[in-house]
Amino acid sequence: VARAGGDGGGNNEVQWCFLQVKGAIDEDVAEADIISTVEFNYTGDLLATGDKGGRVVIFQREQETKSRPLCRGEYNVYSTFQSHEPEFDYLKSLEIEEKINKIRWLPQQNAAHFLLSTNDKTIKLWKISERDKRAEGYNLKDEDGRLREPFRVTELRVPTLKPMDLMVEASPRRTFANAHTYHINSISVNSDYATYLSADDLRINLWHLEVTNRSFNIVDIKPANMEELTEVITAAEFHPHHCNVFVYSSSKGTIRLCDMRSAALCDQHSKFFEEPEDPSSRSFFSEIISSISDVKFSHSGRYMMTRDYLSVKVWDLNMENKPVETYQVHEYLRSKLCSLYENDCIFDKFECCWNGSDSTIMTGSYNNFFRTFERGSRRDATLEASRESSKPRAVLKPRKVCTSGKRKKDEITVDSLDFNKKILHTAWHPMENIIAVAATNNLYLFQEKVN
Amino acid sequence: MLGRGLKRKLSDYEENMAGLSSAFDSSRSLPYPLKRQLVLNMCLTKLQTYKMLVEPNLHRSVLIANTVRQIQEEMRQESSQQPVSICPGIAPAAHSYTGMESPGIPLQLPSGVGQQESHCCDLRSAEDPIENSLLIVSDDDMSSAISSILKDLDFVEDISPPTCLVPTGDDQPKFPENTGLKLEDDRQDLKGAECVFGSFEISNSTSYLKDLAIDDIFEDIDTSMYDSDFCCPPLTPPRSPSLATEEPLKTFPSCNSSSANNIQICRTDLSELDHIMEILVGS
Repeated sequence: VARAGGDGGGNNEVQWCFLQVKGAIDEDVAEADIISTVEFNYTGDLLATGDKGGRVVIFQREQETKSRPLCRGEYNVYSTFQSHEPEFDYLKSLEIEEKINKIRWLPQQNAAHFLLSTNDKTIKLWKISERDKRAEGYNLKDEDGRLREPFRVTELRVPTLKPMDLMVEASPRRTFANAHTYHINSISVNSDYATYLSADDLRINLWHLEVTNRSFNIVDIKPANMEELTEVITAAEFHPHHCNVFVYSSSKGTIRLCDMRSAALCDQHSKFFEEPEDPSSRSFFSEIISSISDVKFSHSGRYMMTRDYLSVKVWDLNMENKPVETYQVHEYLRSKLCSLYENDCIFDKFECCWNGSDSTIMTGSYNNFFRTFERGSRRDATLEASRESSKPRAVLKPRKVCTSGKRKKDEITVDSLDFNKKILHTAWHPMENIIAVAATNNLYLFQEKVN
Repeated sequence: MLGRGLKRKLSDYEENMAGLSSAFDSSRSLPYPLKRQLVLNMCLTKLQTYKMLVEPNLHRSVLIANTVRQIQEEMRQESSQQPVSICPGIAPAAHSYTGMESPGIPLQLPSGVGQQESHCCDLRSAEDPIENSLLIVSDDDMSSAISSILKDLDFVEDISPPTCLVPTGDDQPKFPENTGLKLEDDRQDLKGAECVFGSFEISNSTSYLKDLAIDDIFEDIDTSMYDSDFCCPPLTPPRSPSLATEEPLKTFPSCNSSSANNIQICRTDLSELDHIMEILVGS
């Protein structure tokens, strides 16, 4: 496998240092503040987070200036808005959570920025625009907006644009509703930049960004009789270059690649990816831990990565019968599956992401640990997002989980891991080595150490 | 809704469960059937809990249902290999059943089915009483539990069916590989059983109403008019009118009588659970 040029300066392992942390420090975490999605835009200048309270916070990277060279690339709040509100479906007596499940940016085509954000049922297109000028010198009204007396208007003047303090406005431009009976788990913008897909447990719909009153159903796995249901859709994504190709993953650990050119309803897959089960590791929980929680294409479009409970797998799109690489995220949990099933942790949905050159992948774990895997060198690291290691430009120390009897200094035993501190959402800057890690209600930003 | 006493019992149960699951993880000496039973109990408990939620999580329910089916299949294969044909039947007497059954299904079966099952049960109860109490979750009960959960999930009405360019003519389930679901034989029995049980379920309604005893909610309301032949407009409060019109009226009279049983069964379930826990922990 040819490795695209690494960013870490050849064979040197990337060292991470703390850049910033966003969010409250209190021990008491408000449920609404829990971050539920993190996403960089196409240039990496903007970083969006969504939370359980339905809010979206967008951070913007500060431009480097000669006067503040040490503040290289800090992210500061650019815009905050309430994307979704809690709703009550009176027909079914159900509350619809306002939690933002996913945010996806659209590529920038003019001065404004656009993103899609979704909760369980409704997708919204938001426009984020800047206003730094104001028109002054109207004929019919005063500066404070009051209408002028007509007889006082003695001359005509052309209003002029005067600078004002920067104001960032977010406005909802489209609302795509009423197309999903089940809970939306994924949205994905197509490479044609005109359409996108949304996936729930049993169906995938195709939308045109301009049209809100109609969507096309492209995958439907709902059986005629619900009692026969054995599999649900867990994630879906469009191919980064081929606008007719998308994949979706299932709760049985399989991935289907579909081509929209072959049929209007893509229930028949073009490719079916599944790794045969290893009989020696079979347990009662085998199916549950094989459920795929995230699927992401590589930037090159040649590979895709899937995350299940214990591992991350990289698949070559040309090989359906097994992944080309498998990385163990926290294999030490395999002997704890019953306890993790009992406390529902086994159902946690971890996401995964690629770096810009597809040479390294990252995913989260428990105890606020997250893992990076360098594909070429097979080097992996376990790092922690914690307040203790949050001093400016402090280098992150690798962590180690002790799996056998004797615990070495600085190691942590499996039993002392905090399973309430889970890192489910991570994002990697599209071009540089800057990563965003969501730890419950805090967002940590780390940057590659530069000598 | 649960009395304080019951809540306390439930948290004790949860503690016991946590202890048992770590025992499962750490102990190598726990015999396989016991491990399997423990997992099965956890699965059914979770499904039971989900039934009480307004909107159960479809993903989790399917995963748990599949685990139950897998265990069920394994147990069926084992029992089919045994010389004595054991029908792991529904215990005729309340005291010896596990309480793992779906709470929506009342104990009183139509006499024909019950007698057949109890016959086999008597055969088994002569053997090891502890094992007997562990393995008495019947196939039918598990299948019914799964079916009932998944049917409940379908209560989410498809108010916006997908707009297709191509009409989906085939009614086949989209995933042909239902390998775990070899319920062919069971289906025959199940169909019979479910026809009876079907009328006990308030299908297509909001779940929070489903497991509540109708009698308890409407205690103050004079329900005599609904028992009469004369009327009746469907019971509208607190359900929205659109739901009520979809509900065939005939389900109500039967619900009134059995729903009281449902609550009783819930409570019996929990105390039986307790009983089982004591046995497991004691042994």
